[in-house]
Amino acid sequence: MYEFSYHKASSVAEAAGLIASHPDAKLMSGGQTLIPTLKQRLAAPSDVIDLSKIAELKGIKVAGNVVTIGAGTLHAEVAASKDVQAAIPALAALAGNIGDAQVRNRGTLGGSIANNDPAADYPGAVVALGATVITNKRRIAGDDFFTGMFETALEADEIVTAVEFPKAEKANYQKFPNPASRYAMVGAFVAKTASGVRVAITGAGPTVFRWNDAEAALSKSLTAAALDGVKASADNLNSDIHASADYRAHLIGVLAKRAVVALG
Amino acid sequence: MDMSGEYRIPAPRERVWAALNDPEILRQAIPGCESVTKTSDTDMEAAVTAAVGPVKARFKGKVTLSDINPPESYTITGEGTGGAAGFAKGSAQVSLREDGADTVMTYVVKANVGGKLAQIGSRLIDGTAKKMADEFFTRFVALSSVETTTEAATAPAPTPAVALAEPSRGIPTAVWISGLVVAVLAVLYLMNR
Repeated sequence: MYEFSYHKASSVAEAAGLIASHPDAKLMSGGQTLIPTLKQRLAAPSDVIDLSKIAELKGIKVAGNVVTIGAGTLHAEVAASKDVQAAIPALAALAGNIGDAQVRNRGTLGGSIANNDPAADYPGAVVALGATVITNKRRIAGDDFFTGMFETALEADEIVTAVEFPKAEKANYQKFPNPASRYAMVGAFVAKTASGVRVAITGAGPTVFRWNDAEAALSKSLTAAALDGVKASADNLNSDIHASADYRAHLIGVLAKRAVVALG
Repeated sequence: MDMSGEYRIPAPRERVWAALNDPEILRQAIPGCESVTKTSDTDMEAAVTAAVGPVKARFKGKVTLSDINPPESYTITGEGTGGAAGFAKGSAQVSLREDGADTVMTYVVKANVGGKLAQIGSRLIDGTAKKMADEFFTRFVALSSVETTTEAATAPAPTPAVALAEPSRGIPTAVWISGLVVAVLAVLYLMNR
């Protein structure tokens, strides 16, 4: 690691003030990506602003049809929440399959989506469920939040405070995890929502995206058979030592079908 | 890593060749580039800050040109060093073809990674390289277009952001490719997953 100044923020306002006055600072939530990066000396921020002790970023609330999860809520807390399990079981299951136990007890919802790793799980849920990301400045529709590989609509000094997930009529998430890291080589989140069937694919491309052809087919018939003739294109998909773009395209079809079957 | 691509640039080939040989235009077009310095007619050095997700690192890249055939083609060999962690070497064959009023640039890149870096696999190299190439060409086309517009207007035109330099002898394009090599180095560092 290189030397940096550490700040433990006690409120969102304090953290926002710190990031605004330290342009080379990094915000840290659970630190599950930032800390390994610092250990490898791949980044040298002047300051690290720790968000993990901010009480107002924590907690899960269910009101009517909306589940609001604080950005600082741990994956393990989402997975174990009776409220989330009852309201959106697919979301609790997704959180329970992120990484390993250590990651789930340090990593947070806000950190995951703000980092926007192409293989992260949460972006699939945010997009497929039509969630709304709340920051210290504004509300951002899930469809507009993820803009590219490791890129989001967030401004440099903007902090995610919570995510509002509308309940879905039915939802399911299936992923093909990398056996070492449990990152999604491909993940498919299928949801039947008030605004129709939504299919979000993560892990396959530079960032999460909606699979429009599958949504059209499933809107007519919400069955695995409806996807029989629907093929995902390998154009612009990731290709690496773990899987080629063609293999990922194949996995998209397989996992989307599994998710539809699991919808019941 | 092997990578190839083709870009259409709405400017004559001579102009594209000249712009590609202009260190100042290259500096503005290469994402994260701080400086491009000619060390000889065929050698350049570039300092690039590569930022990919949580990674933000400054790298130095060296580029050497060979098989220079203005204004059509050359081969660039680039090397990026990232300190003790290792290095990346790459070469690119770049060619410019006239197509009406436009110029079509094609490139084929081969890169190798050595040292400690070679032991760290990466799932994001292709995506990063493509993103950098896209950013480079978007900026490069914009910079070229400024010049074209200015020239077309007979009235005193707004000062172009960048004045195209006289075609210098054969220092090439592919400094941006060294930028790519350098960015690839950064991405390689990302945790092995």
